[in-house]
Amino acid sequence: MTNLVDRYVFTALRRIPEQQRADIDRELRASIEDAVDARVEAGESREAAVETTLTELGDPERLADRYAGRPAYLIGPELFPVWRRLLKILLWTVLPIVVTVGVVVQIFEDPNIGKIIGGAVSGLITVGAHLCFWVTLVFAIAERTNTPVKVNWSLKDLPRYEAQRAGLGQMLTGVVWVVLLIAALVLQQFTFTDVPLLDPANWSFWWPVMIALFVLRAFYYVWVYRLGATTRTVAVVNAVLTVAWAAPLVWLLASDRFFNPAFQGFLDLDGGNARGWMNTGLIALVVVGAAWDIIDTALRAERTRRGLPGKVPGTGGSYDFS
Amino acid sequence: MTMDATLAGHLQELRRGTVVVASLTVLRTPGYGYSLLETLSRAGFEVEANTLYPLLRRLEAQGLLTSEWNTDETRPRKFYRTTEQGEALAETLRGEWARLNTAIGDLSDERLDAAIGDLSTGTTLGSEK
Repeated sequence: MTNLVDRYVFTALRRIPEQQRADIDRELRASIEDAVDARVEAGESREAAVETTLTELGDPERLADRYAGRPAYLIGPELFPVWRRLLKILLWTVLPIVVTVGVVVQIFEDPNIGKIIGGAVSGLITVGAHLCFWVTLVFAIAERTNTPVKVNWSLKDLPRYEAQRAGLGQMLTGVVWVVLLIAALVLQQFTFTDVPLLDPANWSFWWPVMIALFVLRAFYYVWVYRLGATTRTVAVVNAVLTVAWAAPLVWLLASDRFFNPAFQGFLDLDGGNARGWMNTGLIALVVVGAAWDIIDTALRAERTRRGLPGKVPGTGGSYDFS
Repeated sequence: MTMDATLAGHLQELRRGTVVVASLTVLRTPGYGYSLLETLSRAGFEVEANTLYPLLRRLEAQGLLTSEWNTDETRPRKFYRTTEQGEALAETLRGEWARLNTAIGDLSDERLDAAIGDLSTGTTLGSEK
């Protein structure tokens, strides 16, 4: 039978590189015996002395880490900010792209609303977990191999915080959205599903009007970018454009002329009443979204007019800059 | 965080590194792990065995200590001794320790002087009124 000291030493030393093991074994045992002897001399029983000594030495795996000079953390303070920044960027860019592509592929293969939502959710979790795991693994290895991951920070990396300036990114995002919406509207008629999702009867008037409004919207984004600021005129034009697409859309939805009555994909849910729910939900979404856009732009225009400071992004709007 | 925990944290920060200076100083006369642990704790250094033993090996790997097994007695022990390099490094560290001690002393004196200065200026202004 092995005694406590043996068990302690074996547990500590199995995690020590082999070439150091014999030497540390001998030294650790001698140190333990010295401490035990001192306690016995002070009047403790041998058994109690061994127990106290080993308890004071503590977790043998921690001791092994210290002997081997291994870090007792996954990613240290040097690498942590780099790890956090990279992971944040990946989760905001790669994750949505992969999930969107997955949804589009699913729509082509089998446009079943349940499968689309299920695929999106499981894709979100799986891809998210993979991103977190692999990035963390690479950083943990870099930490343990002392790989110099140096990201030189300089003053150039500071954001500019130019108040009210309508940025290039904002314009590009807007234009790309418009192009995607037009593509989706046209393609749903021909490719996504056997029977088009949206009512084909509207191609005689409303869908071309929508496409025209989307194109106007793209010009609006370019115009705002070249203007460089959210003026009062911008707020008015934005309100007109927004009402121009939101009002007919709400009317189409409310009078059940938006979705194609021949499209059977909704019948899987809620005994066929799903189309009604989709109509109501979309009306709410359109009204809230349009109102938000109009009010937000108007507020920004008002702030520009008064020369008030804008908000620092990412602070929840409580932190101003001018 | 309680005040005690705050104090404990700051004390730990302040004491970090003192064990290295103390060990290199004590081991100018050869000693083994447990003897050093005893000497240090008698001298008032709060150091635990599970920190000290790995530290000795690290200092040896850095060439600041050298070791030798002594098998003359019934229990073989590994004796460590400070190398020349280790002694030079310890000397530098002790110098730095003394410098910091003086600097902190000066800071306290300066604050005292400044306080006295304020007081006397205050009195002068007061008497002018």
